[in-house]
Amino acid sequence: MIAAAWTCLISPLVATALITVSGNRLSRRGAGFLSTFSVFVSFVGAVVAFVALLGDSPSHRYHPSTLWSWLTAGQLDFGLRIVVDPLSVMMMLIVSGVGMLIVLYSIGYMDGDDEERRYFAYMALFVFSMLLLVQGGNLLMLLVGWGLVGLSSYLLIGFWHERPEAIAAAKKAFVMNAIGDATMALALFLLIEKTGSLNFEQVFLAAPSFSNWTANLVALGLLGGAVAKSAQLPLQTWLPDAMEGPTPVSALIHAATMVTAGVYLIVRTAPLFEQAPKVLELAAGLGAGTLLMAGLIALVQTDIKKVIAYSTMSQIGYMFLGAGIGAYPDAMFHLMTHAFFKALLFLAAGIVIHSLSAEQDIRKMGGLRKLMPLTFVAFLVGSLSLAGIPPFSGFFSKDSILASLLANGWYGEILWVAGMIGTFLTGLYAFRLLFIVFLGEPSPFVREHFHALKRDLPGLSMAIPVGVLTILAAFGGWIQFADVWTPITDWLSPVAAPIVEASGTQEAVSSVIAVLLGLGGIGLAWMLYGARTSEVPRIAWAQTLLQKKFYFDEAYDFAFYRPAVWLSKALARWIERPLVFGSVRELAEGIGLLGRDTSRIQTGLVRTYAFAIAASVAVVTLVFVAVR
Amino acid sequence: MRGPDVVWYLCVAAFLFSIGALGVLIRRSPLIILLSLEIMLNGANLALIAFARHYGQGAGQIFAITVMAVAASEVVVGLGLIVAISRRHLELDVDKLSTLRG
Repeated sequence: MIAAAWTCLISPLVATALITVSGNRLSRRGAGFLSTFSVFVSFVGAVVAFVALLGDSPSHRYHPSTLWSWLTAGQLDFGLRIVVDPLSVMMMLIVSGVGMLIVLYSIGYMDGDDEERRYFAYMALFVFSMLLLVQGGNLLMLLVGWGLVGLSSYLLIGFWHERPEAIAAAKKAFVMNAIGDATMALALFLLIEKTGSLNFEQVFLAAPSFSNWTANLVALGLLGGAVAKSAQLPLQTWLPDAMEGPTPVSALIHAATMVTAGVYLIVRTAPLFEQAPKVLELAAGLGAGTLLMAGLIALVQTDIKKVIAYSTMSQIGYMFLGAGIGAYPDAMFHLMTHAFFKALLFLAAGIVIHSLSAEQDIRKMGGLRKLMPLTFVAFLVGSLSLAGIPPFSGFFSKDSILASLLANGWYGEILWVAGMIGTFLTGLYAFRLLFIVFLGEPSPFVREHFHALKRDLPGLSMAIPVGVLTILAAFGGWIQFADVWTPITDWLSPVAAPIVEASGTQEAVSSVIAVLLGLGGIGLAWMLYGARTSEVPRIAWAQTLLQKKFYFDEAYDFAFYRPAVWLSKALARWIERPLVFGSVRELAEGIGLLGRDTSRIQTGLVRTYAFAIAASVAVVTLVFVAVR
Repeated sequence: MRGPDVVWYLCVAAFLFSIGALGVLIRRSPLIILLSLEIMLNGANLALIAFARHYGQGAGQIFAITVMAVAASEVVVGLGLIVAISRRHLELDVDKLSTLRG
């Protein structure tokens, strides 16, 4: 099992190294297949580890493994350590499984791109980073994976480096994530100071003895990291911009890697968070805020990928809600189903974009249902799942989170209302997108630019993952049906047992209301965008507010960017030029002058030197004689 | 131990030394300058030997022999330089060899 886990971890890294080293000797498609194969090996490793773990009794499903001592400083000793337990295996399965499908899809999507090999090397690196993050056996390994995920996302978002927007988006993602990395590192420093270790066991064992301050600060630091990586309020602005990357990259970031890392972190370090209940409540509150805000913004977006991006923010908000109230298995369950339907939506959108010569503006689309019926079915399944309509997967996971909220007192009830409004918004924006893109008559732009996927290798490599994900998104949620059979909760309970459990009545009531609201959203979308029986109300200020994404970018620009620029300019003008430049220049000029003057002594005439020697000897002799 | 007083020897030595020093300072040809240097050295040698004789000790004589050895090697180097200069068809004039001017 340990060997399988290490294989799972190392395989994509090997692929990255091989593709990087072999350069032109490897064909472009070969790089794609190598990358896919390495992630497939990871998936097999994860499955083997999963099966092996099934053989253990639930309380013994915890297998750390240290290769060697990686970092030693004084009393501290950090091993190159992974841990195989139900939580990490579940994440491994999701990351490598969905990741494999997305990399396979990339073979078709990126076919003919100039730098395919670089792309596939990065993709494998991305999967490796995420696997390191979820398998890391101490918080340091987790942080290393965390940082590498940030790096790979930077590389992939900015993959089309000749586009200035892509570079700007990559930088933005990196900087936003760096803020989270920093707060997380601070939390780890505090943990090292208090416990002298970063191994999960020791840290969790020491957690109950923390003072209030320590517990809160550690939890806040970790939450900062989670919020940045998962694009929640207030560090969410990088995610929509990250759509500048190739579509499969968006799928990978949103479904398998990266944004789910924050949820994983909260669940993994739940014992630390439980010492700071206020921080957990804050996490849930941020999740609720984000899901509402993202749902609203998604209503006015015109870029097909950005609508889906905002839906991710919104769905991660649900996961934060679940994790924040202690319904960890529900959050993880939603993470899993979300990985399925979000990867599906992105990949299906990718096919649409691919078929329309890279056009992403939904205002130019329309009537694609007749031209690409299978993609329409896939998109429909994804959207139904996203909106939480039974029997599709999103229904099962989202509703158990919402029901758990009801079991959590008055604060939970407020959040429940937010989640319910979010459900309505989800149905509305998801089907707005679907109706605009697929229903009606083909628009002039579509008729001119449409070309169907070919039934050759690239075409098939795109179609197969979408097919598999359609099945997963449709039926993946049946694994767990709250209160009736709960394999995921049972599976995760040794690592992260839920601290709230909804009753059967709450489940039923919450589900019925959520489904009705979701259907209501769909119905409204039908009236506005499908049948077009009623007009979209024109409220200018609201539309501007949403199109400007609640002015977050502008606010950050005003609060951080401009003061920073102003400060730098002031420092340059008042400090650097007069003091630093001035002193340096004066000093250099003074020494230069001195050198010029002294160099006149050196005439190059041997006789003057000889005379100088003779004269000085004479003077010295005279002085000696006189002194005597 | 008969003969003139040590002062006379020293006077001759100083005279020789001054002639050499003047030659070094005044003449331009490196060859003559080398010759003048030799004269200076010999002046110093004469003083050393005079003192050695005056005090009846061997140290001065030994020192004089050492100076001769050093002078011989110095001449070798100096003449080598002069030959190198003339091989490059440069004028044998120390005032013209002033590329090291600051």
